[in-house]
Amino acid sequence: MVQTTFLQPASWPEALEARAANPDAVPVAGGTDVLVEVNFGRLHPSGLLDLGRVRELRTWGREKGRVRVGAGVTYSELITQLRGDLPALATAARTVGSPPIRNRGTLGGNLGTASPAGDCHPVLLACGAEVEVASSRVSRTVPADEFFVGPKRNALGADELISGVWIPRATGPQSFSKVGTRNAMVIAVCSLALALHPDSGRVGTGIGSAGPVPLRAREAEAFLEGHLAERGAWESKRPLEEAVVDRFAELVSQAAAPIDDVRGSLRYRRHALRVLARRSLGWCWNDYREAAR
Amino acid sequence: MTVDPSRTDDLAVVGTRRPKIDAMARLTGEARYADDLSMPGMLVGRQLRSIHAHARIRSVDTSRAEALPGVVAVITGRDVPIAYGVLPVSQDENALAVDRVRYVGEPVAAVAAVDEETAEQALRLVSVDYEPLPAVLSIEDALDPSGVLIHGEGQGANVHKAVALEFGDVDAGFAAADLVREDVFSFAGNTHAPLEQPATLAALGGDGRLTVWSATQAPHYLHRALARVLELPSSRIRVVAPPVGGGFGAKTDILPHEVAAAKLAMVTGRPVKITLTREEVFHSHRGRHPVQMWVRTGFTSDGRITAMHFRSLLDGGAYGSFGVASTYYTGALQTTTYRIPAYRFEGLRVFTTKPPCGPKRGHGTPQPRFAVERHLDRAAEELGLDPVELRLRNAVEPFSRTVNHLRITSCGMRACIEEVVSASGYHGKKGHLPRGRGVGFAVSAYLSGAGLPIYWNDMPQSEVHIKVDRGGGVTVFSGATDIGQGSTSTLATIVAEILGLQPEDLAMVTADTDLTPVDLGSYSSRVTFMAGNAAIDAASKLARLVAEGAAQRLGVPPEELVFRGGQVAVRGDPRKSLSWAQAVRAASARGALMTSGVYWAPEMAGPYRGSGVGISPAYSYSAAVVEVATDPETGEVSVEEVWIAHDIGRAINPVLVQGQVEGSVYMAVGEALMEEQSFRRQGVHRGPSLLDYKLPTTLETPKIHTILIEEPDPEGPFGAKEAGQGPLLPVIPAVAAAVEDALGVVVHEVPITPDRLLRALRAGHRGKAPVIGPASVPSFEFGEPERVQPPVGSPAEVAVP
Repeated sequence: MVQTTFLQPASWPEALEARAANPDAVPVAGGTDVLVEVNFGRLHPSGLLDLGRVRELRTWGREKGRVRVGAGVTYSELITQLRGDLPALATAARTVGSPPIRNRGTLGGNLGTASPAGDCHPVLLACGAEVEVASSRVSRTVPADEFFVGPKRNALGADELISGVWIPRATGPQSFSKVGTRNAMVIAVCSLALALHPDSGRVGTGIGSAGPVPLRAREAEAFLEGHLAERGAWESKRPLEEAVVDRFAELVSQAAAPIDDVRGSLRYRRHALRVLARRSLGWCWNDYREAAR
Repeated sequence: MTVDPSRTDDLAVVGTRRPKIDAMARLTGEARYADDLSMPGMLVGRQLRSIHAHARIRSVDTSRAEALPGVVAVITGRDVPIAYGVLPVSQDENALAVDRVRYVGEPVAAVAAVDEETAEQALRLVSVDYEPLPAVLSIEDALDPSGVLIHGEGQGANVHKAVALEFGDVDAGFAAADLVREDVFSFAGNTHAPLEQPATLAALGGDGRLTVWSATQAPHYLHRALARVLELPSSRIRVVAPPVGGGFGAKTDILPHEVAAAKLAMVTGRPVKITLTREEVFHSHRGRHPVQMWVRTGFTSDGRITAMHFRSLLDGGAYGSFGVASTYYTGALQTTTYRIPAYRFEGLRVFTTKPPCGPKRGHGTPQPRFAVERHLDRAAEELGLDPVELRLRNAVEPFSRTVNHLRITSCGMRACIEEVVSASGYHGKKGHLPRGRGVGFAVSAYLSGAGLPIYWNDMPQSEVHIKVDRGGGVTVFSGATDIGQGSTSTLATIVAEILGLQPEDLAMVTADTDLTPVDLGSYSSRVTFMAGNAAIDAASKLARLVAEGAAQRLGVPPEELVFRGGQVAVRGDPRKSLSWAQAVRAASARGALMTSGVYWAPEMAGPYRGSGVGISPAYSYSAAVVEVATDPETGEVSVEEVWIAHDIGRAINPVLVQGQVEGSVYMAVGEALMEEQSFRRQGVHRGPSLLDYKLPTTLETPKIHTILIEEPDPEGPFGAKEAGQGPLLPVIPAVAAAVEDALGVVVHEVPITPDRLLRALRAGHRGKAPVIGPASVPSFEFGEPERVQPPVGSPAEVAVP
């Protein structure tokens, strides 16, 4: 019989102490990833650190231009409570699993698993989010694009827990889209988030399921930012030339590092990303122009 | 008294929309499926499965597993050495591999332990010394003369079954044709994915008898196989099928875990339950064969078929299963929809080192139906004819004989075609929708029960008993298994109609070899037709007994009585009546109230080997129009709307028929667009989970318009025919046709994945033929066909000049 220590702290300080004392215990929130792995015999944790009783993790709030979302906020809550502030994140949350999964699974859990296919990750990258992590000693924030360090590996220290995520509120159009023969209860073939930030002139991207980690298409972002600034397009709101959209899409596709697997071929993923990028930019820029009228 | 099951009016419960009688039990979790069963002292059984696609077993060492505390027994192939198989001609499988494994996931040993974790741990302590052999993963590999032999026997190479038949003069038919067309097609293998994972609980009673509760569609065949493998008389074994959570053919074969659980119960003397994990269900399989097909057809310039030559090559996987029947089925039903005056069929099934294929909804007929329907669309293009018109010109006539000796009785195909074409607005849409949207059309036919049992015998194919207690309670006993399709409700409705009662009034005892008479099982869409007719027979006999008692009391001849609304009344004088309970009391005074009914299919088999496959007392017909929206950039296809007409003869309960039609459409959409059993180079399944093996969800399920065509069949119970399988058949080719209409590609292969669709579109952009499908089929020398004289009155006699 395998012995597993089950830890169930009732508060955030207790949780951090438990983490420090049991660095091998696997943190678990909704259990939609961890318990599946345990049940399949792929994960044999010596301990489980259940964060489900930590009320502090379940809240969210606005602070200046940002929203701080507690790590324990569920996908369902993102959909129902935050779609105005964080539209792309709400859209991504809507594509996760099925209603029971969305009622249990959390934003912090998605980050803890750090799967390259995690649905929220491309949005966090595109929005320039920061992940707030803490130990019993100190608290720090990690930019989303530094948080994912390898396939299913993140920047969390052995004594740290994810406490929340700071996400800039949408100041412009955003989108999240994915492709596949089936789009419910799947691991995406590939996905793309795009966020336009007219206030800062920035463009944010995030690519899912097409590399060892969720990726930003930095060259694509820089290209489009440069183009929009150079032409004064943010102000003029003129339509984008097709060549610009195509170039952006090409750069997004090149930024990916996909592989062949059961869900899709390398070639299909690159192609699909190009299509998603072109469409996303079309939708977002159109929304931006429409909103201004 | 009068009972006329062919009457078409004045029915009280038959034809009314009502929930299944067990709907609440199933919805609330009260229904106890096999895995819900538990007994004191029960052990958990688990199976160790092969990690090789093909290997010799040098030795199996179970000593460390046996030494583990909590382990009660470990068995291997030596403990169950007798080979078995559902078909008498294919006794080629062992519950636990004896000296060789032939697919990844084949059971090698089984353990019984006090709990699941201990059983799992014990599996890891069994060491198997394998000598790996080359994997054989395709038809081409299997036929390679220099390759390895999987069974070391058969008709050469890895041929499991090769058949060549010719009915009528095919060469003359081609010579008379104005157009002769050839096409090749490919249909990927896919699996059933029933929601309930198979489970079996076995226990020895204090009397030494063995009881096996198993999620099976065919308790009778399991009963026979267990007696053989366990070397027990049938009388010492009781097989019970609890409510089954979906079958689709997955639970028709004898599955290794059923034998293993029974053997472990005998070895340990304790109850043992084995429930397959979802991953194991993909290894257990017995699903749709991958089939490569070649078809050549001659047409006159006005579109009449002069001859057809159809060739199919089936990748059978490691064992026989139902494969011989599957092979024949790929050639049998082409003639049930179209008048074909001369027909040649060549079929081949090979062994490969993959999980065994077997029957899945439509058994062996969706693949050729896909090929034939697409082939006719191609011919229609070439002849400049409308695809619907081409079908109508060749439509089979009701009450006729086909060239391959199938007896056609009622046939609502024309009505099905007219209804779906009109309801969908097909002609206004085909070729006229915006690029990316399209419509497709196809027709099909299917059996209402296989005409012969799986093993040769001349006993009835179905028996039903009815017993009445002295208070008027009616209990119906039937061997049929309710696998969710509602067979128990259907039988209750039939009996209730004849006795003037409500279906919910009856007690139903089903699928228990100790208690119920034999029904061959819930496969080949046979239960409504065959068990339904046996139920009519039993209920009519019972009504006669009750009428005789009541007639005496009422002072009228029994012929004057009618059964209606819980009353037995004098026809035309409803004041002169007895309640059902009073009538039963009167009849009971004359003797026991217990009757038996039987059903034998008429003798239909033609004068050739293999003629037992394809015959059926009646065929259902279907026609479908499918509308799709495609995304030419991502290759995604969405089935938006399906219009499907099904010739059911009569709907005993329209709700259940509609459920079967909608379920069939759902399954067809999956097979057309995403489902595929696919394997890595070493024979490892690519994604044995419901995450990676893509089935549609409700989100991918189209809007479905179901149209029921009710022209009662003269032999069907109240005129009814089948609904469980036929409606799947036209949808797959119709989806392919709709994708063609939407994008101008040629679709000769399923599933139509985004990757494949994009590749075809890219080829089109480069000026090549935009085709999804194979260029050729593997070659095989079938030799001279067996020539069979067509029956009197077949289309061969009125062959076009």
